[in-house]
Amino acid sequence: MDLNLRGKNVLITGSTQGIGRRIANLFAEEGANVAICSRSPESVNKAIKEISLMADGKIIGSPCNIKNKEEYETWINDMAEELGGVDIFIPNVSAGGGMDSEKNWWKNFEIDVLGTVRGVEAVIPHMELRGGGSIVMISTTAAVETFMAPQSYNAMKAALITYAKQLSQAHGEKGIRVNSVSPGPIYFDGGAWDMIKISNERFYDKTEKTHALGRLGTPEEVAKAVVFLSSSGASWITGVNLVVDGGYTKRVQF
Amino acid sequence: MKVRREQKIARIKKQKGKKGTPVEAMPNPELGHKLIPKLRYTDTGFAQEEWDKMWKKVWLLGCREDDIPNPGDHYVTEIGNESILIVRQKNKTIKAFYNVCAHRGNRIVHALHEPQLESSNFRCRYHSWEYGIDGKFTDIPDLETFPQGAPDCGGLICMPCDSWGSFVWFSMNKDVEPLKDYLGIIPNHLDPYHFDRMVLTRQVTVEWDCNWKASVDAFNESYHVQGIHPQLLYYLDDLDIQIDCYEKHNRYLIAFGVLSPRVVSPSEIPPPIKHVMREAGMDPASYEGSVYNIRADVQKHKRVHGATQGKDYSSLNDDQLTDDYHYTIFPNVTMNVHADDLMLFRQRPHPDNPNKMLFDYFTYELPDNDFDWETYKKPIHKKFKHGETSLGLVINQDAYNLPFVQKGMNSNGYEGLWLGNQELRIRHFHKTLEDYLEK
Repeated sequence: MDLNLRGKNVLITGSTQGIGRRIANLFAEEGANVAICSRSPESVNKAIKEISLMADGKIIGSPCNIKNKEEYETWINDMAEELGGVDIFIPNVSAGGGMDSEKNWWKNFEIDVLGTVRGVEAVIPHMELRGGGSIVMISTTAAVETFMAPQSYNAMKAALITYAKQLSQAHGEKGIRVNSVSPGPIYFDGGAWDMIKISNERFYDKTEKTHALGRLGTPEEVAKAVVFLSSSGASWITGVNLVVDGGYTKRVQF
Repeated sequence: MKVRREQKIARIKKQKGKKGTPVEAMPNPELGHKLIPKLRYTDTGFAQEEWDKMWKKVWLLGCREDDIPNPGDHYVTEIGNESILIVRQKNKTIKAFYNVCAHRGNRIVHALHEPQLESSNFRCRYHSWEYGIDGKFTDIPDLETFPQGAPDCGGLICMPCDSWGSFVWFSMNKDVEPLKDYLGIIPNHLDPYHFDRMVLTRQVTVEWDCNWKASVDAFNESYHVQGIHPQLLYYLDDLDIQIDCYEKHNRYLIAFGVLSPRVVSPSEIPPPIKHVMREAGMDPASYEGSVYNIRADVQKHKRVHGATQGKDYSSLNDDQLTDDYHYTIFPNVTMNVHADDLMLFRQRPHPDNPNKMLFDYFTYELPDNDFDWETYKKPIHKKFKHGETSLGLVINQDAYNLPFVQKGMNSNGYEGLWLGNQELRIRHFHKTLEDYLEK
């Protein structure tokens, strides 16, 4: 199956490490042109260099603080201009979990929710110009099943699933598909589950056993789902929330 | 993922004022690399020698001054087979006695490890011999039936007793050097923490199935953090540690609120470091800096806000506001010293089994403005067997492991401790012990 990603222009936020970075890597391998960002200029430059090694297309990027609306919109427009349009948008950046104070709610709202909403509003005109496009939001299984604690991360990520569904209805006519991907626990070096594996091995082992497939997922496996949903291979899929969790959650998705 | 990052902890180079805790690193003593024979941990003969030549010669921690504030208040502590009666005198000084009646050897006071309030005299319950709070006989019933008269000792047998740092110390050695000389650098190093301002929050004794030195050792090195306390890799630097050995005692300085070089930084602040921030009154969610700056930022925050929280940090340097200044006072007192609290362990030998010990766990807290004095009640000293109570995750992890260490030491397949540089304090501790045994 050809995903037809060669020459497609992809914007990914929060893409120098973790899942976002693996998504960028995979798009690059598939021949797409990729624009990345993170807050630190050093990480952006380093990631561009590394991703370019496996890319056929153009790999660009610049530092951007998603919290700052103007800075964010400028980043999107700059990237769109440099690549010559936008076909695919992956609002990936997250403020992460935490129950320290009310501030966690503001942060997840600003970064996870507004970081998606503002991005979507800025890319849709570019997609309209190209006669279509694809957006994949990154949610979490913590949005669809009880997980850890009643924290803002879980609730704000849940908002994205609803938002993606409604967007898919509103922009379908223009050929814009909108989906979300909800990863379960994902292990990678330096990730949250790396810390849990080191500091609380028993809980890690228990979590592994909870998965129908008996292990934690890899960021590459999440990236594959995201890249597929973004591609023409998923041309008839819109408004879905694809749970990518190796059978970690137990609900039936009617 | 296992890593070994290059990391250098920024440490204060100058002590805080003239009376601050000295911070300079001591040159490492030349103590060789010899194996420490396991017999020291398992052999009853060695335990007896240790008792005769060390325990009976040194200064030992008895109780806290505020356990016995008023004349006649008294406290009984045990070491080995001895019971020691510590009594506040009329002139506010403190005396320590063997807790034994000169008549037939009964224990005078039977209550243990619990402050006993004001008493005008002590009466042996066996034949009602009475002693004043100064230890002198006040009444011997039917004295005329003792043709030889009263015992020549004139009352309870007194032993050297003195105070330092809000604690009362005693020695079974009547020729012992003065406490101040014995403690050496300790008062100079630890007075800036003002232990007298701290209040007792928990006191527990647990019988552990290991030699008392196995417990002292476990707290004298951080090499075991990666094995026993992996969660602390997201809390402290277990590699860049300043180890300082002084005459009898030693210390190490461990940076808290940092990542170990053995792990990589997660994208979120690790929960144990968040805890450090919250304790200082900072909101981790509002923190915009890098995880690598948190220790310094917590220090700054406490320096600025300490006074309004009711905490006087004026005699402590900035590192002391976050780090663990960890001291071992020979032979058996381990102190985890922090600006806001003190976690003190006293390791006592079992009276007759070198494979067992008594682990005394005391925590003290520096009260801040929010401290609720109205509901504060001095905790009762509780005693447990191994596994009957929790001492918090970290100590529980050590407590779980130590009986296995002791079992292994008794094996024919084990000869003794093979120590590395990270375990220098253990070697230094054994050197001090050897010095006593050779005397």
